[in-house]
Amino acid sequence: MLQEAQSVASGISGADIVAAAKYIAAGICMGIGAIGSAIGEGIAAAHALDGMARQPEMQGALLRTMVLGQAITETTGIYSLLVAIVLLFVV
Amino acid sequence: MHEIFSQLAGLLTHLGEKPILVIPLLGGEIRVDWMTILMSWTVMTIIIVIALFLRRSLRQPVEEKPTRVQATLDALIDLLQGQLSSNFSSEELARMMFPFVSTLFLYVLVSNWIGIVPYLTSPTQDLNVTFGLALLVFFLSHWLAMRKKGIRRYLRGFAEPYAFMVPINLVGELAKPLSHAFRLFGNVLAGSILTTVVMAKIFPLAVPAGLNIIFGLFFGGIQGFVFAILAVAYINVAVES
Repeated sequence: MLQEAQSVASGISGADIVAAAKYIAAGICMGIGAIGSAIGEGIAAAHALDGMARQPEMQGALLRTMVLGQAITETTGIYSLLVAIVLLFVV
Repeated sequence: MHEIFSQLAGLLTHLGEKPILVIPLLGGEIRVDWMTILMSWTVMTIIIVIALFLRRSLRQPVEEKPTRVQATLDALIDLLQGQLSSNFSSEELARMMFPFVSTLFLYVLVSNWIGIVPYLTSPTQDLNVTFGLALLVFFLSHWLAMRKKGIRRYLRGFAEPYAFMVPINLVGELAKPLSHAFRLFGNVLAGSILTTVVMAKIFPLAVPAGLNIIFGLFFGGIQGFVFAILAVAYINVAVES
């Protein structure tokens, strides 16, 4: 058992470990990075809906401002996406 | 896995993998991606040809009954004015900036939408294009601010509310074009990578078409609108604050 594990371990090169770490890091980066922007966009949409339900005549302005705010909130998610892409394809 | 990555490598030329044309210049070199330039000119040609085609139906006295094309164009201009340039705080600035921001919107919109045609790539999928557009907005907003406020009041604006805030304000100003460019680039690139992966590996026919509709048409439209409205917001903040 131990000898088997050792023989498998001796077959793993440094490049394999780097490749594995790259994929794991990209997954963690994208997964955790998406949490913040998702929660933020949800909060923005919820409050915009709240406002629209209260004042339906303000719908156009609220929708525009909501999309703008969500696009800015999304920036952090996009940054983590870029880091993940760089990890996968460039590193 | 490797086939997907070799297919994706074609999408990722702008990350420094495959410069198509290298021009030596003063010790350094300029790297040019032919595909981006070609697609950028294609987008410009499409917009210009459509504009010239639509313009033919406008040649008539104003007092006559407008044609259908003219009424549609009126509605489009009204929509752009209501959604984009009504966000400027002064009427004069809105009138001056309306052609610029609506051109920005149309260019980004057609650039995003052209990516749904197979074998064509969006020019906005290249960071250089989006960064160029963002820098255009950045320099325009600061130039307008300098012209409106005068150089002394413009420079004093960086020291507000307190003098020790100058570095923070400078970083904030420099982060604007960065996030402006990366937002559009990241969204368009993510959509095209996702569509390519699904098309290459999972479902060949129907699902990529649906993804194309969602990412190309819907998100492309939203991102074009967001890009233009952020340009409006940046110019407005720089000039009026």
